[in-house]
Amino acid sequence: MALQLSPQLRQRFEQLKKRYPVRRSALVPMLLYAQDELGYVSPDLIAYLAEELHLRRVQVDETAAYYSMLRRQPAGKHHLQVCTNVACMLRGGYAVLEQVRQRCGVPPKTPTADGVFSYEEVECLGACTGAPAMQVNYDYYENLDARQAGELMNQLRAGKKPAPVPYASGTQLGEPHPAEVRVLTRRFGLPDSTSLDTYLKHDGYQALDKALKQMTPEQIIQEVKRSNLRGRGGAGFPAGMKWSFVPKDSPKPKYIIANADESEPGTCKDRPLMELDPHQLIEGMIIAGRAVNAHQGFIYIRGEYRYVLEILERAITEAYERGYLGKNILGSGFDFDLVAHSGAGAYECGEESALMESLEGKRGYPRIRPPFPAVVGLYGCPTVINNVETLSSVPAIILKGGEWYAGLGPPKNGGTRLFCVSGHVNKPGIYELPMGFPLRRMIEEVAGGMRNGKKCKAVIPGGSSTPVLTAAQLDTPMDFDSVAKAGSMLGSGGVMVMDEDTCMVDVARRIMHFYAHESCGWCIPCREGTTWLRKMLERFHAGGGRREDIAQISELAKNMLGKTFCPLGDAAAMPTISIVEKFRDEFEEHLRAGDCPYARAAAGVGR
Amino acid sequence: MPEPPKSVQLSVDGRTIEAPADSLLIEACKSVGIEVPSFCYYPGLSLQAACRMCLVEIEKTPKLQTACTVIVQPGMVVRTATPQVHDARKAMLEFLLTNHPLDCPVCDKGGECELQDMVFRYGAAESRFLEEKEHQPEQKFSPVVYFDYPRCILCFRCVRVCDEGMDVKALGVGQRGVRSTILPNRPDGTLECEECGMCIDICPVGALTSDAYRYKTRPWEMEFVGTPCAHCGDGCKTTLNVRNNEILRGNNRDKTGINGEFLCLKGRYAFDYVHHPERLRRPLLRRAARLEEATWDEALDFVARRLKELAGDPGRIGFLGSNRTTNEENYLLQRFARTVVGTNNVDHHRTADYAALVAALAGDATRYAASGDLARAQAVLLVGNDPTHNHPLLAWNIRAGVRLWGTRLYAVNARDIKLRRQATRFVQVPAGQEAAAVETLLGSAGNLPAEVQKALGELRAALEKESGVIVVFGAELYGGAVARLVEFGNRLPGHTRYIALGDYSNSRGAADLGVLPHLLPGYAPVANADARRRWEQLWNASLPALAGLNARQMFEPGRLRGLYVVGANPIKTFGRANTREALGAPELLVVHELFLTETAQLADVVLPVAAAYEKEGTFTNTCGELQRLRRALDPVDVRTDFDILRLLSHALEKPIPLRTPEAALEEIRREVSGYQVSLATLLTGEAARTAPVDGRLPKEAVATPAGLVFSSDDSLFTSGTLGRFSRVLDSVHERKLPRSQL
Repeated sequence: MALQLSPQLRQRFEQLKKRYPVRRSALVPMLLYAQDELGYVSPDLIAYLAEELHLRRVQVDETAAYYSMLRRQPAGKHHLQVCTNVACMLRGGYAVLEQVRQRCGVPPKTPTADGVFSYEEVECLGACTGAPAMQVNYDYYENLDARQAGELMNQLRAGKKPAPVPYASGTQLGEPHPAEVRVLTRRFGLPDSTSLDTYLKHDGYQALDKALKQMTPEQIIQEVKRSNLRGRGGAGFPAGMKWSFVPKDSPKPKYIIANADESEPGTCKDRPLMELDPHQLIEGMIIAGRAVNAHQGFIYIRGEYRYVLEILERAITEAYERGYLGKNILGSGFDFDLVAHSGAGAYECGEESALMESLEGKRGYPRIRPPFPAVVGLYGCPTVINNVETLSSVPAIILKGGEWYAGLGPPKNGGTRLFCVSGHVNKPGIYELPMGFPLRRMIEEVAGGMRNGKKCKAVIPGGSSTPVLTAAQLDTPMDFDSVAKAGSMLGSGGVMVMDEDTCMVDVARRIMHFYAHESCGWCIPCREGTTWLRKMLERFHAGGGRREDIAQISELAKNMLGKTFCPLGDAAAMPTISIVEKFRDEFEEHLRAGDCPYARAAAGVGR
Repeated sequence: MPEPPKSVQLSVDGRTIEAPADSLLIEACKSVGIEVPSFCYYPGLSLQAACRMCLVEIEKTPKLQTACTVIVQPGMVVRTATPQVHDARKAMLEFLLTNHPLDCPVCDKGGECELQDMVFRYGAAESRFLEEKEHQPEQKFSPVVYFDYPRCILCFRCVRVCDEGMDVKALGVGQRGVRSTILPNRPDGTLECEECGMCIDICPVGALTSDAYRYKTRPWEMEFVGTPCAHCGDGCKTTLNVRNNEILRGNNRDKTGINGEFLCLKGRYAFDYVHHPERLRRPLLRRAARLEEATWDEALDFVARRLKELAGDPGRIGFLGSNRTTNEENYLLQRFARTVVGTNNVDHHRTADYAALVAALAGDATRYAASGDLARAQAVLLVGNDPTHNHPLLAWNIRAGVRLWGTRLYAVNARDIKLRRQATRFVQVPAGQEAAAVETLLGSAGNLPAEVQKALGELRAALEKESGVIVVFGAELYGGAVARLVEFGNRLPGHTRYIALGDYSNSRGAADLGVLPHLLPGYAPVANADARRRWEQLWNASLPALAGLNARQMFEPGRLRGLYVVGANPIKTFGRANTREALGAPELLVVHELFLTETAQLADVVLPVAAAYEKEGTFTNTCGELQRLRRALDPVDVRTDFDILRLLSHALEKPIPLRTPEAALEEIRREVSGYQVSLATLLTGEAARTAPVDGRLPKEAVATPAGLVFSSDDSLFTSGTLGRFSRVLDSVHERKLPRSQL
């Protein structure tokens, strides 16, 4: 075979093939690691992996075709991936993209003649509080503007590599805002915060010790139930209840999955949680494993977070070496193994059943439910899948008690929440605040108020799939129930703040652009509806709208709502419906003006 | 047997209906005539819930639910015809049509398109879509499969039938989102597969089309004639789509017949041999060492004259019958040989030892399994053969059983056959050692390698825990080995049943109807005076009491003065040299054929005959299922084998009083053991089960000598003589691949 692979890669393949209960699970990481070395996914590679994993060629081919990070053509030496999703767009992402585009002078995803660069517009990179952001291969560069992007390219071309800014993007390391209640983030800013020793010095693995030696699995679940911990991924489902659904008498193995596929635009909290305190997540997962009698865990982390994956892998290795993972943990007789697994670019894989398909080495299509993962999950076995933030909350709950945790927030909304405040505020950042914290204070006080003294026009409260709130709704307390009462959702904690110069039609367009790009294509309404709406909103925003389009946009979104296979269709429909409803006058203005009345102002946005 | 499922009551559109407890709502609705539309739902394939067409209202459930995934519950209240449901369907169709081209006037599917029908019923007449459509150019996946991306609605039926039904998985899904596309398995965007065309057949729209049919006609301009396929021994019903005396397409969309909708490449496309330009249309007579065209009168006169000249020595005339002619023709042929010429020298290329099975079953007619039984068997024991290639329908049924009913397949084979993937246990034995494997199953030590013996021992232990096994065997087992296999099978718990696998469309019929030197129709031994007397009375002739020459004996030098070959090519089949000497140097060689085969080229006279799709009659498939041929084409210039033999019997002044195939069938149904089937079943296009029994067959009657029973081992892409004259079979590149690669 013509394929040349380095000994290191071959060795890695051997390890990958061994580390899953089902060999095919290694497919997506193998594709990604091979691409890192070969530059792209070649036909030879596909044939090779098919043989390695005992799959048919087309199975490898169709899996590779699904993930946006996997390329079929070589890229430039430096592949520039510019985010223009809402949080980045609000702070000048398009200007950065334009700069990169002009300097490359080639179509997207095509190497420049000298092979140094290639570029593409990408979806949310999880750097919303450091917007606008760009990834160069796997390195993050944040808080850019067009000039800085150009300067970065100059340096890269000159063979220099400016230090990426991976650490703690947007978090205020060591200097919390006085309103913050630091439970999950309390170790942020400590020197060497990722090391096991630092972790141990600051309460690390004490909760595990307690859970293993002083508590029964039922007691752990009870404690989590008492804490009123609700899922931090977006849906807000009570975590303790989810754990209690796992059938105790099932003879099958059980699995714990940390959903670290953080991709909801506006959301970038799981990244620092893993980057700065990986052991907190690991400890949470082991405790969850104990609670449901699972002995194997997986962290499914989005492929873009490669450096975070490496941090996690180091932490996992350290935990194995010191006896916190593996056999007979802390002498308790309890065994738990943990694997960090890389995705390869697909928002849909944040949906739990699609994530499991992806983890099994397939296209990330969601599954028919019921049955739910607690009963039939990964490899058809009972599986607990929780968001990173949810699982990271577990050690504190076990250590200090569910009641203490519950008391941090309003009733039925236990604990604190990591809010990623992005957009037109003076101090974008990730803030750990008690549940129920008022939105106005979050913007005006914690995030330093509106930038340039502008007025707030709208806020997306929980990632781009949540309906927008208007300036009149800023007194909403930020907990699941209160935000729901205000007609939106607390979602994933991605708070995107928009000032009076923001074109809401453009926001709607950019949101739909995202969902159309990320629709997996499984069901008709989402596959066709998101693209239709994207095209309509593009036309409308560019001045080609018709009066009947306004109602039609809303109607088409409603035709998707509640009818799609998975929640992605709803995620696309809900913000769209709310923007048309709450900012209809802006659509009218576009009709009157024949183009976007905010265009000039938008061009000036940035710094 | 599993207990029948309990039933539940639920309300649909105000009607109280009853359905089995584990059934899907969409099926429950269908069972009472309430249609819930769907594209992606397809019975027997995995559930998708992707098209969202089957959304219905269920009381106490906030959102609309897909009827294809909901299991009926007692007391469930369902509404399928509310404005909300109607609007949802309309919305789904509107979404679908955004990227679907409105090229119905030129699309092959126009007139039989599920999308067209649904839009007509539920959709909106006006399009609100102003934007640019997604487009990718048409792709040629293979000589028979074309893919038209814009028309694809991504119901994934093709992907699933290829994977789940065929176990080929040649199709995947490429890209994602609105750009999602169907992906063939080769890197250059073409297919390497079994070319069965199931993907085309199952496509609800015109996204997948076949080269053979593209742009040729419209569905409503054709007539549809359902008839058994002319190729292998499985007897699938293929519906020939005919216009102007030309077959344009084969499919089985109405899913009737033993095969449901299944067809392989041959059943779907290899009808084209009938239109091959090299079809013989005029009789050929050897004049001055060359075969020249002659009139029918000249040719038949010649044959009659020469047979008369040889008539004084009937023991030196031999008849070689066909695996492809109808039962009526087979019956007529052996009757012609026995009563007109007066010889038992009648045989054919036997591709399975049906006689040995009949003998071994010792009169128990309940031990034959039908093809459909394989799809729901508890366990199947397969010895020899490669059903994927030789018996595509039976392989499809075995896979369906394994997939949907948990059938356990046990296989003993000299080759690494594809069905191994479905097998619970697979034992590979040295080539030619299948009979030895049977002995090992029966407990004798034998000479097989130790590891094979051990594996067979484990296989036996597993089989002994099964009940009601269906035993399927190929031509590797014949004569006494079949008896030994039945001995083993009958020891297993429950009621074991059997299928012998023969190659061609009427291999079974040739044996059943007595195209054998030692057996009369219905496996009555020639040597048995009572049996002989019965047929002598019926035919009003005296029959020779000794068994005739078998096929190989006929080719021995000097045995025969005249060899009469009907629809066979012994030069090729029996691997003989290309000379008349290789056939025993007969003075007279008569051949009935469609094409100028190697044997026909040596003949004194070649009579061009009608193909299976050009005549009436019946075929018996390898499982013993009898089906009626319906004539799809009017034969042009050619005659049926039936007519030729009948005319010759008159010319030889010993007329056989059967004017038509119908009359012959009537006699067969009345007189031939196991053929007492319902005419109504046949006439309605269904298969009737035959079950020939004879408990009196003496051992020597079935002590089949070596070299008489063997399979031609056709692949999916060959079909004896007919396959050589099918352009479609010749066009697919897989024909040249080693079998193991598929």
